[in-house]
Amino acid sequence: MHSISVNNLNKDFRIYARPQDRLLELLLRQPRHRVFHVLQDVSFDVMEGKSLGIIGDNGAGKSTLMKLLVGTLQPSSGTVHTKGQVAALLELGAGFHPEFSGRRNIYLNASLLGVPDDDIAALEEDIIEFSELRDFIDRPVKTYSSGMYVRLAFSIATMVRPDVLVIDEALAVGDIAFQRKCVQRMNEFRAQNKSMVFCSHSMYHVQELCDTAIWLEKGRIREMGQSEEIVARYEDYCNSRRSYTKAEEQAKALESESSAAKAEQAEKDKTPKDARIIHTVVRNTDGEIIDTVEPLQEVILELQAEILNDNSICYFGFALMKDLDEVISAYLGTDRPDVEHGPFRKGEIITVQLRLDAMALRVGNFHVLGGINDASGLLWYETKLSKEIMVKTSKGLGVFVMKSEWKVEHS
Amino acid sequence: MTSSLLRQWTLSPIRHFRLFHQFVRQEFSGQFAGSLGGFLWLFVTPIVNIIIYSFVFSVVFRAPMPENFGDVPFVIFLMIGYLPWFAFADAMGRSSGLLLDKAPLITKVMFPVQLIPMVGTLVPYLVHGIAIFVFLVYLATQGYLQMAWLWLPVAFVLQFMFTIGLVAILSAFCVFLRDIQQLVALMLTAWFFLTPIIYPLSLLPEQVRPLMMLNPMHSFVQFYREAILLGDFSAIHFQVMVVSAVLSYLLGGWLFMRIKHAFGDVL
Repeated sequence: MHSISVNNLNKDFRIYARPQDRLLELLLRQPRHRVFHVLQDVSFDVMEGKSLGIIGDNGAGKSTLMKLLVGTLQPSSGTVHTKGQVAALLELGAGFHPEFSGRRNIYLNASLLGVPDDDIAALEEDIIEFSELRDFIDRPVKTYSSGMYVRLAFSIATMVRPDVLVIDEALAVGDIAFQRKCVQRMNEFRAQNKSMVFCSHSMYHVQELCDTAIWLEKGRIREMGQSEEIVARYEDYCNSRRSYTKAEEQAKALESESSAAKAEQAEKDKTPKDARIIHTVVRNTDGEIIDTVEPLQEVILELQAEILNDNSICYFGFALMKDLDEVISAYLGTDRPDVEHGPFRKGEIITVQLRLDAMALRVGNFHVLGGINDASGLLWYETKLSKEIMVKTSKGLGVFVMKSEWKVEHS
Repeated sequence: MTSSLLRQWTLSPIRHFRLFHQFVRQEFSGQFAGSLGGFLWLFVTPIVNIIIYSFVFSVVFRAPMPENFGDVPFVIFLMIGYLPWFAFADAMGRSSGLLLDKAPLITKVMFPVQLIPMVGTLVPYLVHGIAIFVFLVYLATQGYLQMAWLWLPVAFVLQFMFTIGLVAILSAFCVFLRDIQQLVALMLTAWFFLTPIIYPLSLLPEQVRPLMMLNPMHSFVQFYREAILLGDFSAIHFQVMVVSAVLSYLLGGWLFMRIKHAFGDVL
């Protein structure tokens, strides 16, 4: 069964140069506006229990599409059908009253979603528990940080068990631990045959959380399909326009502080993109791709890249990432004459492997980031994350293990 | 089409009672949250206003005692008109900002938007209703209590309906034309002085008096005075009240329901 069905959806906005034009048009019945097509001919279905990701550049119409799905905007033409109760997280705590306590806002927000008071009372504890705001719940929400805001809003929206959950960029605000909880909650949600529409600039989340994805461009569907595939194409497209990847973004943020670095940035912008990473994987010594490792296991990190230009110079690097933003261990191929860095020919497929002798991590999960960087190792032109790799827990304490040898001597 | 819109308009506070209830609670306590005097302001403002007006009119201008109302003190005559007007003016004054203030909610959450002008009118009426009730209790102890007082709740509800329609229209128009915010303030001042509240009708020139029948607020004020002080009221005022209340309520509701879908585009 379809839980969301959108047919030939169009949305126009009328743009008035001056506010009085709107009135004049009403009175004189002469058009005085320009029409701006925000969405054109958008059609898609979401099946029950499936989730859809929406990606695209700023201004592509993502938010408008979300509002149409929720019903706060009316389509100019075409239809939107949703089945069951729709809960939306389009803005951090849109229904919150800043002067009231978190607890009061739970009631207010849940009744906006159409939940009876008695049910809210039953859910209240769970919501407070999940949001981890027990110490703050009786303080006015205006004293909350934006992370706390979104935690409360997310807890309410998902706790009322809607049939369709529409989320717009909400996860980005919470801290990593909470993001992980959200992802888990959203996965439970899918398991209960509920549907979800998720709009985000975090390609990783879209890939992990969504079955299918839509790439919107200037109000039209540019591509639609399996989320991994669409995300990959979109990332490609972004890279080819040299818009920033995560690593570049960080580099840019750092650079904008010094003007000397700006010149470097300009120089970098001139360099055409040289390569595209096809995949980053972890293999065991038998060459099999793995997603779990044992402490002290020997592993091989591998990235495969396609060279896009002749005479490309590429330096390679790997990083083990915890929680996607913390580097726990990084390896750069720069300054190592023994690591080949080109020039490569156009069309070549390069496989780079890095062998790690003994995996020192004892607990936790990580991702491997494969990247292509410049000679300094500071600018990562192109990066790709591996699947999440899990460390098999073993006996013992502490976060890492080292190769060790024991000795007991009698004297 | 029209009838289903009006049915939705009328039934929505019942159908969405919990949300309505939450909104009313929120607005009611929100009015006093964060202010020191809180509830006290509710009584201070009208009392200070009344002291000012009665000083100006009975001491400075020496307004003649209102005709036809016996030897009632001018302050009581004034208050009977002023308190219900204050409820009306308060609700109208807030109307222009109602939807604009709630813009994030309206654009991001799907809910019956028509509850907003209803709550926006109900809350000032509840607040001022308390003040009026206290005043009536005082009058009762002064020996004014009469059977005709039973009509007062009816009149107050009619005035509420009259207000709700106007508030719905103003709040909706304000979304499209922000200038209405300024206009409403001006209009209320003019309306206040064009209604015989701080002066008796008898002060107006004879030929202007019939024109007052076009001003429903005049009928409301006059009704309250007659019912409270004389224990009887003229049918014509009651008719004007019923007709204006029903017309305003239905017209305002119909208009609001017609254009509420466009709010998302403009807000």
